[in-house]
Amino acid sequence: MSKKILLTVVLVAVLAVVSIAQETITVAAGAVGIELELAKKAAREFESIFPGVEVKVLDTPDMATDRLGLYLQFFEAESSKVDVYQIDVIWPGDLAQHFVDLYKYGGHDYAPNHFQPIIENNTVDGELIAIPWFTDAPVLYYRTDLLEEYGFDGPPQTWDELEHMAKVVTEGEKKDNPDFWGFVFQGNAYEGLTCDALEWIASNDGGKIINSDKEITIANENAADILKKVRGWIGTIAPEGVLTFDEEASRKVWQGGNALFMRNWPYAYKLSQSDDSAVKGKFDVTTLPRGKGTSSATLGGWQLAVSKYSKNPALAAQVAFFFANYKHQKERAIEASYNPTIKTLYQDPEVLEAVPFFGTLYDVFTNAVARPSTASAPNYNEVSTLFFKAVHKIISGESNDPMGTLEELALDIAEVTGFEPVFE
Amino acid sequence: MTRTQRRKLKKVLFWIVIVVVFVYLVFPFYWALNSSLKTEDQLMMTPATFIPRDTEGNFAPTLQNYKGALSDPTFIRSIWNSTVVGFTTTALALIVGSFSAFALGKLRFKGKKPTLYLILSMTMFPQVTVLSGLYAVITALNLHPILSMILSYMIFTLPFTTWVLTTFFKKLPIELMQSAQVDGATPFQTFYHILLPLTAPALVTTGLLAFIAAWNEYLFALTFTSIAPQSRTIPVAISLFSGSIARQEPFGEIMAGAIIVTIPVVLLVLFFQRKIVAGLTAGAVKG
Amino acid sequence: MGKRSKGSILQKEQSLAYKLLIPTLVVLGLVAIFPLGQVVVTSFTNREFAGEQETKFIGFNNYAQLLGVTVKELPPEIDDDTGEVVKDPETGETEYERSIMVLPRKPNRYKELFQYNWFGKRYVVGARDKEFLIAVGNTILFTILSVFFETVIGLFLALVVNSNFKGKGVMRTTMLIPWAVITVVSARIWEWMLEPGSSGFFNMLMYRMGLSDGQASFLTNSALQMPTMVAVDVWKTAPYMALLLLAGLQTIPKELYEASDVDGASKVRQFFTITLPLLKPALAVALIFRTLDALRVFDIFQVLMSSKMYSMASYNYFQLIQNRDMGLSSAIGVIIFIIIAIFAVIYIKSFGVDEE
Repeated sequence: MSKKILLTVVLVAVLAVVSIAQETITVAAGAVGIELELAKKAAREFESIFPGVEVKVLDTPDMATDRLGLYLQFFEAESSKVDVYQIDVIWPGDLAQHFVDLYKYGGHDYAPNHFQPIIENNTVDGELIAIPWFTDAPVLYYRTDLLEEYGFDGPPQTWDELEHMAKVVTEGEKKDNPDFWGFVFQGNAYEGLTCDALEWIASNDGGKIINSDKEITIANENAADILKKVRGWIGTIAPEGVLTFDEEASRKVWQGGNALFMRNWPYAYKLSQSDDSAVKGKFDVTTLPRGKGTSSATLGGWQLAVSKYSKNPALAAQVAFFFANYKHQKERAIEASYNPTIKTLYQDPEVLEAVPFFGTLYDVFTNAVARPSTASAPNYNEVSTLFFKAVHKIISGESNDPMGTLEELALDIAEVTGFEPVFE
Repeated sequence: MTRTQRRKLKKVLFWIVIVVVFVYLVFPFYWALNSSLKTEDQLMMTPATFIPRDTEGNFAPTLQNYKGALSDPTFIRSIWNSTVVGFTTTALALIVGSFSAFALGKLRFKGKKPTLYLILSMTMFPQVTVLSGLYAVITALNLHPILSMILSYMIFTLPFTTWVLTTFFKKLPIELMQSAQVDGATPFQTFYHILLPLTAPALVTTGLLAFIAAWNEYLFALTFTSIAPQSRTIPVAISLFSGSIARQEPFGEIMAGAIIVTIPVVLLVLFFQRKIVAGLTAGAVKG
Repeated sequence: MGKRSKGSILQKEQSLAYKLLIPTLVVLGLVAIFPLGQVVVTSFTNREFAGEQETKFIGFNNYAQLLGVTVKELPPEIDDDTGEVVKDPETGETEYERSIMVLPRKPNRYKELFQYNWFGKRYVVGARDKEFLIAVGNTILFTILSVFFETVIGLFLALVVNSNFKGKGVMRTTMLIPWAVITVVSARIWEWMLEPGSSGFFNMLMYRMGLSDGQASFLTNSALQMPTMVAVDVWKTAPYMALLLLAGLQTIPKELYEASDVDGASKVRQFFTITLPLLKPALAVALIFRTLDALRVFDIFQVLMSSKMYSMASYNYFQLIQNRDMGLSSAIGVIIFIIIAIFAVIYIKSFGVDEE
């Protein structure tokens, strides 16, 4: 009898200890600066609401390939050390197998508040793989002072107009400043080029690489034409070095006052308005120019997903929802010009005051073009790599047969995905 | 051309080469120093300046990058971590390596060649290839990140120290060993008291090179310490410096971090090299 | 003392030798056996990195995919209307068909590697994994150039520091600087110095000297890419070489030089007759390891070139991370190993390092 009592007492004591013991949820999110700061802030808040839970924020490499590499190592080892992952908008298709279905943990309460296209992007086989955290859609930055000085009425509507304006202003400005260029964008051979190139091609009626019927349509005249045009910009209105530029490199040229136009994500807005920026107060943003078709902006953004290998997925899901809720998305919008994914935030007066173009460019964000990540899952990464390499070859002049390169590209993508290429 | 003219020409050429090499080696470091004293704005200035200048052209260095780097606790901690990992790896590689080198360089036994090749073959795989297998082992055994780094670095430091020391041991005259044996010393005593001190320059050099290899290693360290920020080593900590805004790379701070770490290393090595090598070689020659 | 004791001395030596070797073999066994074994085994499968796809043995398919080459004749282009060979109007040279017409597509696709002429006919060499073979070529070229320059400069530095040269203290300190700078950071420093646009050092210099408009893009100019990578690598590795060679130089007794001086030999003669031969073993080992390191180069290619120019190791990395093809990247690892092993054996045999 006494033995049983002793055993029960021990058991209760152990359970008590276990329940008092801290649960730790680790969030792999954000690498630099304010992104990390805000994440840590949200973690502290969660901890104060739920004592007994420790939320650790892990900084990860900023370079997407490095970050992905790290994540893959964790998945390969089925590590339970990270519970919540910040993933790119193009990763749900490829990585779905490693994440839990958030609908099982209360996702239905949160999903309707977010932009539906993003929710759809994050849904694989009916499962909600990740909750949207912030979205991203690029805009055209332009120098209002220079356009006025050279007698232009407003920002360009088409790529031809952009080219013309850039030529005129560059010629004029270069007399005093050899570092001045008309247009800077992301031309390095990396995922960023996939975004830029998709915009050029889609806005020129060249399709979106893979169409909704799962056909590979990239090898067409419109695509070849616009890429030839871009090739012509290198060295004339865009520096040779643009072929090595990522977002930061182009922002540096722009913020130093050495560019008329820049294609970049909204994060650069806040930075360009900072006190030590050479372009403070001298610029504005608008939709990207178009070719034969309509203006296209590539959908970007990051989501939060819960790992299948986590020891406490239910709690981790709560942390993810918390980080991505109204209050925190608002904070990010105001303090760092991150685009929220919750629709109602775009009518919030405080947000609009801090980032006015969220209101004026609302349509851009809701109509952004998605990269074919869902269509080509689980091989999107491979497809994208083939795409940006081919584009880089064309715009750098390494290939002097754009159509031929695009045809080879179509065949390459066909090999990877098993889809049929369509040739004109 | 007369003989003196030719000699002068040779001297001039020699000095030109020295200067060119000097500039080549030093200049990137200088540029890093220069950049570390600039604000982000100054870094974006075109054209770049040799010394930090403000928009008016006045000399205007800033210490904000150093302040930033030094106020990052992960960075400070990483210096300690790197030192621990570096020293332990080096010590292990030298001790274990010198044992093997003695065997391979001076003792006679079967299977010498295959052993040499086996040891060398460890360094013939690129790190990238071995990474995921190693990580799986580490995770399965739940090893502490610092320990896992020390053990992993053995893969490339141990073969290196073994091979280099083997060469040096081979060079030592066989008479030394034989006379010691005649005196009644065991092979191990011969190794420890006589041969080892004579390979002092090799020991110091391989030690330094092994240390620096561990100090600089990035890929393994990044993967093993990704979930353990407190175990991060310097290369990882510097690369993960957070700037003030997302996507913004705090270049000035990274340079400051690099300078903070480089200067003590150079000074330490200068000190060690002179003292130890001089001391040991002097002793050996006398003896 | 007789034969018996001689035998037992030998036996004792042997057993001591084995005992001394055990720590090394244990450490390496612990750390290396599983990862390396896994690499070899995985190279024969189609395993996906962090994937759910079932892993199947596919034999040598990965290797065939990486190394598959073919040679096909490229017929001249025939004008459809006239039935005659098409010639370039300006040069008069024959124009040939596009290689995509001739290279096989199914079951495996071959992409053009290069074309050449042979006895009046034109041939195209196709490869299944063109990028891999190009990466191998680039790495080998890089290795040859880098090892050459780092040895020359390293030897120069070592000789200077070992001599009675007045500035040797300065040189010794200078030599340590690149060596002490963290490698990934040094890659960034060079990247920053090579910045296209005159915030980059080299461009600024060329602009200030009036040589150019300061907009040169070093990393995208195919003529400048390899020299740049070699310069960046040699900066870091020449000090390694110098340190290793210096240790070798320090074991050469000074008396040899003194005696030679008395005989009236010039410095240059001394270098070739005394220094070089006695330095040979140290030089050999240094060359082996530096070559192995150069063949495995990863950091600088990943940071500076990423997907624009691959080294064997960075190609391996990108295959693993971007394509998640673990089987293929393991096969790449094994092929790299074999290439490196070939180099090592050539070195060892020529220098006689493994001889008694």
